[in-house]
Amino acid sequence: MEGLAFAYLGAAIGAGLVAIGAGMGIGRLAGSALEGTARQPEASGDIRTTMIIAAALIEGVALFGLVVCILVALKTV
Amino acid sequence: MRALRFVVLALVALTVALPVRAAEGDQLDAVQHSVDGNYLDFLPFAKVELPRFFVVRDASGALGFDFYPTTKAALRSGDYVMKKEDGEQGGDYASDDAAAGYGGDSASDGAYGDDASGGLEAKLASGKHLYETIVPASGSMVIDLSPTRHLLFALLGMLIVALLFISMANKYKKGIGRTSAPKGTLQNMLESIILYVRDEIAVPQLGNKADKYMPYLLTVFFFILTCNLLGLMPYGAAATSNIAITAVLAFFTFALTQMAGTKDYWMHILWPPGIPVLIKFILIPVEILGIFTKPFALAIRLFANITAGHLVILNLIGLIFILAALFGPVVGFGVAVPSILMTVFIYALKVLVSLIQAYVFTILSALFIGQAAEEHDHHHHDESHAHEIARHASAPIVATNGSTQEKQLVGAPVTA
Repeated sequence: MEGLAFAYLGAAIGAGLVAIGAGMGIGRLAGSALEGTARQPEASGDIRTTMIIAAALIEGVALFGLVVCILVALKTV
Repeated sequence: MRALRFVVLALVALTVALPVRAAEGDQLDAVQHSVDGNYLDFLPFAKVELPRFFVVRDASGALGFDFYPTTKAALRSGDYVMKKEDGEQGGDYASDDAAAGYGGDSASDGAYGDDASGGLEAKLASGKHLYETIVPASGSMVIDLSPTRHLLFALLGMLIVALLFISMANKYKKGIGRTSAPKGTLQNMLESIILYVRDEIAVPQLGNKADKYMPYLLTVFFFILTCNLLGLMPYGAAATSNIAITAVLAFFTFALTQMAGTKDYWMHILWPPGIPVLIKFILIPVEILGIFTKPFALAIRLFANITAGHLVILNLIGLIFILAALFGPVVGFGVAVPSILMTVFIYALKVLVSLIQAYVFTILSALFIGQAAEEHDHHHHDESHAHEIARHASAPIVATNGSTQEKQLVGAPVTA
């Protein structure tokens, strides 16, 4: 395989890993938030706000990964 | 009533379908919705080219300013040519055309000019020139100041927000909404959103400084929301799917955060208290980097979310044509049904994402500004303040509980 093919392979694997990481992170976050809301429904507003902020931060890290993957994929030669 | 609605829908579908059929042979520019360009797309009716402004340095080294009403005019004038993929500049259409059998006697230099213009007209007719980089025929480009589609839609978003809120502000100045109940659908709707931004986004993050930053937060919220929704309109484009525009928005948050920074904010970055000195040398670069990564993440998040939505729709629509090309038209029609249904679902999701991203950008801006502007109180995460908390005569038990809780929640906003 030539270098470019490896770059595409690396980008695709990287994108997949990023998706796994972000999915696990946001999944755990949502699960905990759901549990918290079920235990204490009156705090649901605060929990939701905190959850969205944390989800946005996780997503930010995931998007950094995706940007790196896009840069690798777009790198010609 | 229902029958009437059906007739109206059918009429709309028909008027759109007829020109679509007429344009079927043409090449559709599939990516146009998500990338920027120097034209407005009203396919299948028309493509409106935007004016071009260039600042160029000519052969003698003097700066010049060029204006053309369209990209076509710039190319027809002969002063500008399309840049070739492999780095060679234009002007060699003649050789292309000679190979294609255009001019038989193009060996003579005199015939080159005619061939070149003929090749150019063919390219202009095919519309390919809109996707090419334009460079001056002689001299070099200093900067291309041409307005693009995303800029126009950002300005349109600005205009909509300004018109809505200036009229709204005048109403409140007259007392409608302050001394009496808000009047009309628009005022009621906007007031509820404004109150939401204040009570759910600004006040929890900024506390008593919320009023100072409300104008910025409201502006950024409604501008992002308007731009996102403009991207979902037919023939529209989402200005927020351009990284330059999101970067400017993030820069505003960055500047406001630094300006709001108190002495404690800078001390915690440049010399974090309560940490062994050796670790400080690791932590200080990380903290300094953190100043820049936060707004960078803001810009990337908004840009990537809005662009990703467009790309997903593009992929789903593209699936129809890819499968039709691979397995024949019957499979293409079969795939079209689930593909269109998925597209509608993603489109609805994009409406949701438009709102969520406007909310997330605003709340994170408020959070960053709030963290920087926070007054130093004694309920703090660091251990160096632990003894102060212990000496705090008023509520020692609450304070120690608070400090252990805070240690677990490093990084999360603490409302003690």
